[in-house]
Amino acid sequence: MMLRALSADWMKIRGKGIWFLTALGPIGLVAMQGLNFGLRYDYLMNQYADDPWGGLLHNIANFVPIALFLGITLISSLMANVEHQLSSWKQLLALPISRTAVFSAKFVQAFLLLTVSCILLSAGTAVLGLLLGMSPQEIPYVDLARVGFAPMLAAIPLLAIQLWMSMTLKNQGLPVGIGITASVVSVFTYQFPNWMPLKWPVLAYVGPGEVKVVGAGLCLGLVISLMGLIHFNRRDVN
Amino acid sequence: MTDMVIQTKGLYKLYKKRAAVEDLNLEIARGDIYGFLGPNGAGKTTTIRMLLGLIQPTRGSIHLFGKDLKKEKMDILRRTGSLVEYPSYYGHLTAIENLETIRRITGGPKARIAEVLDIVSLTKEAKRPVKGYSLGMKQRLGIAAALLNHPELLILDEPTNGLDPSGIQEIRELIKQMPRQFGITVLVSSHLLSEVELMADKVGIIREGRLVYQDTITNLTAAASSGFRLSVSEPEAALMHALELGCSGVLNRGMMELGAMSDAKVALLVKRLVEHQHAVYRVEEKRRSLEDIFMQIVGEGNRI
Repeated sequence: MMLRALSADWMKIRGKGIWFLTALGPIGLVAMQGLNFGLRYDYLMNQYADDPWGGLLHNIANFVPIALFLGITLISSLMANVEHQLSSWKQLLALPISRTAVFSAKFVQAFLLLTVSCILLSAGTAVLGLLLGMSPQEIPYVDLARVGFAPMLAAIPLLAIQLWMSMTLKNQGLPVGIGITASVVSVFTYQFPNWMPLKWPVLAYVGPGEVKVVGAGLCLGLVISLMGLIHFNRRDVN
Repeated sequence: MTDMVIQTKGLYKLYKKRAAVEDLNLEIARGDIYGFLGPNGAGKTTTIRMLLGLIQPTRGSIHLFGKDLKKEKMDILRRTGSLVEYPSYYGHLTAIENLETIRRITGGPKARIAEVLDIVSLTKEAKRPVKGYSLGMKQRLGIAAALLNHPELLILDEPTNGLDPSGIQEIRELIKQMPRQFGITVLVSSHLLSEVELMADKVGIIREGRLVYQDTITNLTAAASSGFRLSVSEPEAALMHALELGCSGVLNRGMMELGAMSDAKVALLVKRLVEHQHAVYRVEEKRRSLEDIFMQIVGEGNRI
């Protein structure tokens, strides 16, 4: 049932700018570093002479949390808005499909869209590195994959909250406001204690305890999703 | 009474202690077109949302097709098509794509999309984005969506709201053919009796959350009669006959004015008059309009 809802959901987001946003995030990040390295090529290549790939990844990773938080906020809101816009929830939920399936499908869709962003980010970073003349023999495949996926998995609690709020509130002001606040705050997260979920996307890539942090992100994300699911199942649809 | 498609018992919905629906007992039999009437804010939409499981009743039970909505919701929804208030659609998609999003969830063959578009005569417009449709077309698309899964029960909430007269007529004709052509039971809500009168077999009238009237439209029409006027050759003698038959009546400007009576009694009176060599020129029924009756039912208790 969930897959059926998901297949309908892919149709619904056509032409809504969601795919555009999914691509814009990672491409924007890579382009920004392209500019950074392009303008200060000699200086930066000199500074990262020992490990140019590591230098590039470090610069990319600095901006991943804010891009991720913004992306999560906007994707959740845009996806939910497809249904809110003309009160389609009432039609959708009067179909013979469980609310659990509807909710899970939205979650999976958001997750898959973010996955696409992450793949684009990893691939884009590799392409940028090669364009900057970094050694093809030394491509750090594992770190490239980590820069894309580790922060994303650690940010799942935020995805769960944003999706929950966006889907249950018709007015998107609150979820978008909270999401943007989280994105802005994420710039300063290195000053936060490690237990703060907002810091997890940073920790998941630079450590310490990368694997543990990703695990914690998944667990907390699951708990919040379940709470959202229970609420979504019980609420009155007007 | 096993062939009740919709049956609610003691249904309540409270919003912050204010009852939107109060002790509602609906009974809708298979093959009926049931007109669900009431002024705006009387609780029609709340009731319909409860029937579809969109909102939870505070108290009471809902059975559709003899099954408990709480326990067998999926099975019930599979056999039900609905259009709740204004139509829901995805404006950037075409009619075909809109129906496809539903078909992907309910299953069924793709050919069904063309069929339902044909039923609501949208085939020609099917490839345009829905945001460019007129309200009437959107409403028809909503009905097409409701029909997509071959429902046995169609629940339509104010399907003619905001439509122009020709749009209203189109929708009405569409609804009227449902039981005949497809064996579908229809629940249609409206705040206009005149509209429901033209398509429904049975009406339920709701006021301030309570069902104040539930019967056939024929009985409602009968209640509209407030008496008869007879024009005869010899009114005084004729009135005696009428009074002998137990009618109440008076003479007024050479016409007999009689109270409400059954068809059989009217026939008996006319027969008697004719047998006694009276010439009966005219038998008129004095009728209040259904709208008056509706206002009376709806307004009862509201008068100061």
